[in-house]
Order: sequence, then C-alpha cells, then structure tokens
Amino acid sequence: MTDQPTPLAHSLSRRRLLGATAALAAPALLPSAARAASRRVVVGTWGGDYQHLQQINIVDPILTPKGWNVVFAPANEPPRMAQIVAQRMLPRGTLDVAAIEAPGAYRLGNLGLLEPLDAKKIPNLAHVDPLLEFPFFVPHIYSAQILIYDPTKLTSPPTSFSDLMNPAYKGKIGMPTGNDFYIMMAAALYAAGNVDAFDKAKPLMEKVNANGFRLYPETDSIGPAFKSGEIELGLMWLARVAMWQNAGIDVAAAFPKEGSVLYVSGFVVPKNAPNKEGAYEYLNEVLAPSAQRGFAATMGYLPTVNNAPLTGKIAKQLAFPTPKPKLFVPDYAYDVKALPEINTWWNSTIARG
Amino acid sequence: MDQALSVAAPAAPRRRELSAGVLLGPASVLILVTLAAPLVLLFRYSLDRFDPTLMIIPAITGANYAAFITNPFYLGILRLTIEVAASTTFFCLLFGAPIAYRLARTQSRAKSAMVLALILPLFMGATSRTVGWMILFTHGGILSLAVSALGGSAAFDMMYTPAAVVIGIVSFNLPYMVLMLQAVFERIDPALEDAAASLGAAPARSFRRVIWPLSLPGLSIAAILCFILSMNAYATPLLLGGPRFHMMATQVYTEFADNNNWPFSAATAFILMMTTIFLAVLANRMIPERYRAP
Repeated sequence: MTDQPTPLAHSLSRRRLLGATAALAAPALLPSAARAASRRVVVGTWGGDYQHLQQINIVDPILTPKGWNVVFAPANEPPRMAQIVAQRMLPRGTLDVAAIEAPGAYRLGNLGLLEPLDAKKIPNLAHVDPLLEFPFFVPHIYSAQILIYDPTKLTSPPTSFSDLMNPAYKGKIGMPTGNDFYIMMAAALYAAGNVDAFDKAKPLMEKVNANGFRLYPETDSIGPAFKSGEIELGLMWLARVAMWQNAGIDVAAAFPKEGSVLYVSGFVVPKNAPNKEGAYEYLNEVLAPSAQRGFAATMGYLPTVNNAPLTGKIAKQLAFPTPKPKLFVPDYAYDVKALPEINTWWNSTIARG
Repeated sequence: MDQALSVAAPAAPRRRELSAGVLLGPASVLILVTLAAPLVLLFRYSLDRFDPTLMIIPAITGANYAAFITNPFYLGILRLTIEVAASTTFFCLLFGAPIAYRLARTQSRAKSAMVLALILPLFMGATSRTVGWMILFTHGGILSLAVSALGGSAAFDMMYTPAAVVIGIVSFNLPYMVLMLQAVFERIDPALEDAAASLGAAPARSFRRVIWPLSLPGLSIAAILCFILSMNAYATPLLLGGPRFHMMATQVYTEFADNNNWPFSAATAFILMMTTIFLAVLANRMIPERYRAP
C-alpha cells in the first residue's frame, strides 16, 4: 500500500518534484548560506607554524566557540601583497585579514589599499605598545635584532656590529640574505646612530663581506649552520635564539651597544575585505593575552600588548637586559622609498658570486 | 555508385576540415586567453614606470629594458643563465644520448622496467628532488663526509656552487632528454647500421656517418627543449646555488617579491623569454638545412 504512488507523485515527474522542493527550500537555505558567509573570515597568512599557532591560540579556543569560521589562505608575503594589489579594483576582494610584516603593511597603507582601523572595534588595541603601532596595522608579534653567537666557540660575547668585521671571526659569520634591509639598518645604527644612514652602512657591510661573510637563503638555514659549526656569529632576531636554544642548539644573544632594530609583524584589513566585521573580531583576538602568550611560548616573539606578561623559561630567554637596550623601530616611511635601491645594491654588491 | 562517391569526395574533406576547426576552436580560445592574455598584461606592465612609493605608474616607456641592458650586473645574470643552460644541455646530450641509444636498441625484457626507472624521478616534484641534492651536498652532508673519509678536505662543500646547480638541472632534464632521444633512435632502422658494418664501417664510424646525421633533427629539438627548460630553471638555482647565485628566473622573482618592482620584473621576464626564443631559433639555424627539423 505504501509503495503505491500517490496522485501528487504520479502527476509530477521526479525532476519537477526535486525542482519544486528546491524552490520551496530556497528561502530557508539562502539566508543560512548568507549567514554562513557572514560568519566566515578569510585570513591570508604564512603557513606552517605561524598558521598552526593561530589555529590553536586564536581560532580553536576563542573564535570557533563564538561561531566564527576562520579559513586560512596560506602563502608567503609577496604573493599575498600581490593579491591585494591585483585585487585593488575589485569591490570585494578575497581576503578579510592579511598577515604582513610592518614595512609591507606600511607600503600597502601608503598605496591606499588598506582599511583605516577603527580602534573602537578593537578593544585590545588599547594594550598595544604605542612604539609598535601605525595606522592600518595591528602589530601582532615583535622581536629585537641581536648578535647571535656560539657561546662554546666565542670566549667573550660580541658587543657591537664591529665584531662582524673582526678578522678573528673570518669565515665564521653568517646571516640570511632576506634580512638584508635589517642588517643594513644595524650597520647604519653602528655607523651613524640612526637606522636610515644607509650610505654610511654600505662600506661597513662591504668590510663584513670581505671578512668571509656567509649568506644563507633562509632564516631557517641559520640554526643548522650554527649546529654544524659552519658559523659562530651573526645578526638575528632574539625570537630565533630562543627557538634554537629550545631545539638544543648552542646559541646565545648579545644586544649591540649601539642599539637594536625591532622586527614587527602583524595584520591588516584590505579595503575591499568582504567581511570587515569578522576581520575586526579577528584583529581583536590576535591581541588577546592568552593568544599572545601562546605565540611567545612557541615562536619566541614578544607580545605586543602590555597585559600578557611572560613567565617561566621563555620569560628569561626573552627578557631585555638591565639597563634596557636602545630599541629602534624602523623608519617605515623612509624605508619604503629606500628599500628597492638597498635591495639592488645588496644583490649586486654583497650577494654577488 | 562509384560516380556518386567521386562527386561527393571533394566535399567530405572540407566538412572534415570545418568540423576539425570547430573542435579546435574552444581549445584555441582557451590557450589564447590563458597564455596570450597574461603575456600581453605582462608586456604592458613592462612598459610602466616604477616608483618606490606608488609602485606602478602607468606609462609607455622602454626605461626598464634600457635599465637591464645597460647594467653590467643584470647582463652578467643573463650571461650566467645562458652558460648554465648551455652546460646542462651539453651534459644532458653527453649522458642522455648513450642511454637513449641503448634503450632504443635493447631487446631485453627489462626494457619497460628501464624506462620506468628513467621516468620514476619525474613522479617527484622538482623542489623535492632538489632538497635531496641539498642533503647530499650540504656542509657535513653525505658527499662531504665521503670526501673526508677518502682522505680529501674535511671542508669540502658542494653546496651553493655553480657545479651543484648544473648537476641539479641535469638531473631534472636528463629523463626528458633520454625519452626524446630514445624515440629519435627508435625511428632509425637498425638495418642501416648492419649495412654500414657489412661495408666495413667500425661502430664509431657507423655512428658518425649514419646514426648522427639521421638523428640530428630530433636531437636538435631535444637539445633546444632542454636548453629552454634550463634557461627558465628557478627552484634548482635558488636552492642549490644559494643567495650569491643569480639566474634570470630567480632575478624575475626577486624584483617582483623583494622590490615590488613589477615593471622591471616584467621587463626581465620578457628579456628572458626573447633571449630564449632567439637562441633556440639560432641553434636550429646553425644546423645544416638538410638535417634540420621541419
């Protein structure tokens, strides 16, 4: 009896029935699809550890319970910046939030491609160190540039950039080529006391190069180079020293007496981000004390907020010495103009075979 | 019936041509859009001006091309790229031709297994394979340990040397070269070699006077393809050459990624492409016309 077709079913083909059902369901489905889209935040970021730490420190414990669906779009910074530049004419881009280092963020902001941030929508911004802030940008992590050395090989810690020119360390100095701009800032700081004196930095860097300077393609190549004994001295971020120490590599940090340049990385919102409400929520939560402490514990980068004090081993590893060293934030406005020329000079002079 | 067929015959090929044309249409349009359109866009960018603050200023200028050809550093990169591509092509021919010849002539039941062994490395991405070479070449790696165990210098280090780059690219291109040459040698009738031998030609003379001229058209195509692949190598020079080894493809990316100089990067890409095309055509022209591939 139940297998008998009903008059209604009999009068409709299967296709018609499905169509009618879909039409009836559409009003119910569409708002739910729209709702799902409005709760989705697309975050362009570096993959690997950085994405994973966002997942376990920001997304899983904070945003998912609030009903947000965070989707990561992992890539390196250049393609991400290119994506934002290429999509500048579109009314709706594809990223809600983009992880960018401070110089890149300044460049994009300068091009008018970023959303001016409304501090009221990011309550945690009130806790951010003003030294690290600038418009359009939420600083997420930072670290100081230090002299990294092998304490088992160097009898006394290095004290300044001048140690990189010391013939005693000839052939034992190594740094990643991608840090060229920051290395030049360190040289400028030693030469003239300010981070913009690139003309005075160039001859110093040529002396370092003549001292058997080893160049590496990636920052990640430096830890193994210390481990194998290939290098004993260089310039690096304090965060990396902590990370490699925790991996069992014999490295230590010494703050240069002329001062340290700061590396800052954070997040921006493209002007054409489809979900700005979600983007603001994300920006606020990257500054949450628990999330900030989570990043410090694993990656060794310092919290950018003043309400996430560190404790335990990592606090000791990342503590600034007393008296506190001179810290210099790069002059981003100047750097945007100078960077191409310095990069080209570096490639054609220092990174020349 | 015969008459009807003979009347209908001229119309049939036309219909076939028309339907073939219709079938090729979508693919042609797809290629035009996905290949030509980005190239047109890239060329347009190469004529723009770069400003460190504004990035791209719309213009029609040849300044980016002029900046490249008047700068000894960039010309050095182009020269090095050509040298590496020529070296790798030479070594691929040197190592590939005997392997391909042996494969083409073998009657062994293991021939399929040999071909499979040859193409097996192609199952792996170029970057993964290059990482393998890095493990071999790196300071304290297998090669330096072997050299020091054999009484050589403990500081032996192949990493970040031009030799490492050439080895890496040869390993990448060699399977392509062998596969192409195998097809070339297989098309040459073995009876010709037997005939040469029966007339008293030694194997070397038989190869020089019979196999070499007959294989030259296919060989030249294989060499040109290998040269093109080498000219555009990116991952291998980056990973095995290190930061002081600049080839054109890595330079294109450096300008794009580090300097955000899209116009100069686009011009560099075009110079690489035009140089490759020019050298490929030149190489083909240098082969005597009777041996040239049609």
